Amino acid sequence: MISFAIYALTIIAIWSVMAISLNIQFGMTGLVNFGQILPFAIGAYAVGIGIEAGIPWWAGILAGLVAAPLVGLLVILPARRQSQDYWALITLGAGELFRLTMLNVPSIAGGADGVTISRLGDRNLALGLAVGLLVVAYLVGQRISRGPLGRMLRVIREDEVLAATLGRNPMAYRMKVTVVTWAMAAAAGILFGYVVGYIAPTSFLVTDTFLVWTAVILGGPGRNIGVVIGAAILILLSVSTRFMAEWSGLPSDLVANLRLAVFGLVLVLMFLFRPQGLFPETREVRDVDGR
Amino acid sequence: MKRNTMLAAIGAAALAMAGMSPVMAEDITIGVIANLTGQDVNTSVQMARGVEIAADEINKAGGIGGKTIKLIVEDSEYKTQEALTAATKLYDVDKVPAVIMFGGSSLMIAVAELAKQEGKVLINTSSSSAKLGDYPGTLFSILPLDDILGKELGKYIAKKGIKTVATVVPNNTFGLGVADAAGAAFKEAGGKVVKSVAYTEGQPDYRADMQSVVAAAPEAIISAGYGDDSRTIFKNARELGLNVPWFAAYPSIFTVENDAWMNGKLSGVDNGGYSNDTGKAVLAAYKAKWPGEEPLAHIYYGYDALKVLAAAMAKVGEDPKAIAAELPNAVKGYVGATGAIAWDDRGQRIDPPLDLIEYKDGKFETVGTIQ
Repeated sequence: MISFAIYALTIIAIWSVMAISLNIQFGMTGLVNFGQILPFAIGAYAVGIGIEAGIPWWAGILAGLVAAPLVGLLVILPARRQSQDYWALITLGAGELFRLTMLNVPSIAGGADGVTISRLGDRNLALGLAVGLLVVAYLVGQRISRGPLGRMLRVIREDEVLAATLGRNPMAYRMKVTVVTWAMAAAAGILFGYVVGYIAPTSFLVTDTFLVWTAVILGGPGRNIGVVIGAAILILLSVSTRFMAEWSGLPSDLVANLRLAVFGLVLVLMFLFRPQGLFPETREVRDVDGR
Repeated sequence: MKRNTMLAAIGAAALAMAGMSPVMAEDITIGVIANLTGQDVNTSVQMARGVEIAADEINKAGGIGGKTIKLIVEDSEYKTQEALTAATKLYDVDKVPAVIMFGGSSLMIAVAELAKQEGKVLINTSSSSAKLGDYPGTLFSILPLDDILGKELGKYIAKKGIKTVATVVPNNTFGLGVADAAGAAFKEAGGKVVKSVAYTEGQPDYRADMQSVVAAAPEAIISAGYGDDSRTIFKNARELGLNVPWFAAYPSIFTVENDAWMNGKLSGVDNGGYSNDTGKAVLAAYKAKWPGEEPLAHIYYGYDALKVLAAAMAKVGEDPKAIAAELPNAVKGYVGATGAIAWDDRGQRIDPPLDLIEYKDGKFETVGTIQ
């Protein structure tokens, strides 16, 4: 039981990092990234391709952390003058483009067969790394949120023109946010690869992007602690319903469907009765010196 | 409202704790992982039912050493992470020595990695990636490798005097494996593959893919596939007027869309065991338990998986390492619903009995066997 709990906590920590990454993009800056799974996949694949190529493990990790922000900048470049609806389409397309390339070009990373990564056998170590990463991501998220940068990001989110009239270049801020958050998501992807021990295109679907979105919307966009709790609730709901399913004694195929229905129902109820999220962003009033 | 949601969360957690009912001491628990939701659900459910039929049969005959088999079926949602969660729960919480699993190679390999590290047993009933051979002593396959069946399929088509074919398969390890093996054998016999289509699974329409096949004008089609996708493919082919014969790997797992159009058109190489006495008994048990529901070939693989596992456990008990060591002996002389099972030293099935079957008047008929 303990090792299962350790595994579940590891998964929660990994997806919480993804949620914080999306929170900085969407919750704080208003960037509608429907390709949040892309940096995650790049991180995981960098490690996998690195192992196939026989380079040292740290080089693969480094490659993932560098490649994801670079790809991020490349992806948002065509969207720089567009509104957020286009931003959503471009990021969604980029995520799928990457996945389908990995699926259809087996010479890169095994195609549908995927790549085996040397799995982290020690679960405590995996949990330690995941929690360590979460703490770092959270501190980065809090530092951005609380500082002048976070205030300017929120100005951009609310009114881009206002930000420009203050002499700030919104695109420069968006690029900064993209670099930081895509590297963060890549780190989560790298760890995911090592925890699962195997990566294939099926692990990086659009539905996984929306899992992160659900966590952010559920927790409350704009609040780092909120989105972490959102991610934790989602994973715990998914895990705990497995035990409920077994305990109910109903036929397994019926229960499997009911499980997903309960999952959906809880989310619908949450959104109906608490659309601003569990921990909504609070209004802050500050003077010109930021106090 | 915040308090209410907190209460709901606590309630959910409490329910979860209540769910961890201790397993009775006289039970032997065995795990089953299948994609009960998500893609390819029907075939998965059928496999799980096959395991259930075997469990019923063994329990009725007194269980394993007097202990009753209890199955714990977990859903993989056809997602790698969920499959891993299910496997971690089964191995760590439910303490099962072995898991019988249905799912694609992207799920199976991830679970095999875990099973290998934990020193547990995994029985594969559905996946045929060559990578599965990397887990000797951990993973054992009931399903034969694609290249064996694909090769026979290619030879069979060439014998029919056909010169050009197109391959239409799902873009996954199974589909590509069949296309490669069958295509190579067909070419070796002097044929030509004029078009290779590997379609993305789960699409609502495949007209663009099928149009390219029509344009290549092959004399026949080599195919592999299953479930709703195969139905959609057939529908699109029929609408585009592609009236050529279909030669398939495991035609019996296809879902035929239009009986009249498909009559006499679909044939191929399938597992040959089903028509033996064990296969017939499994079919009868299925019809008794789920009357009115059409069974698929997957029930036989699920059935054999548990029978083989139970045979090993009857000899050595519940220690996973001992089970893994005993399994290769347990299959010797065993003739199951999918015929006699022979494994190579990696635990991969070789020399499966194969049948040639044809779709006639709404059902498949065996027209020959391959020795």
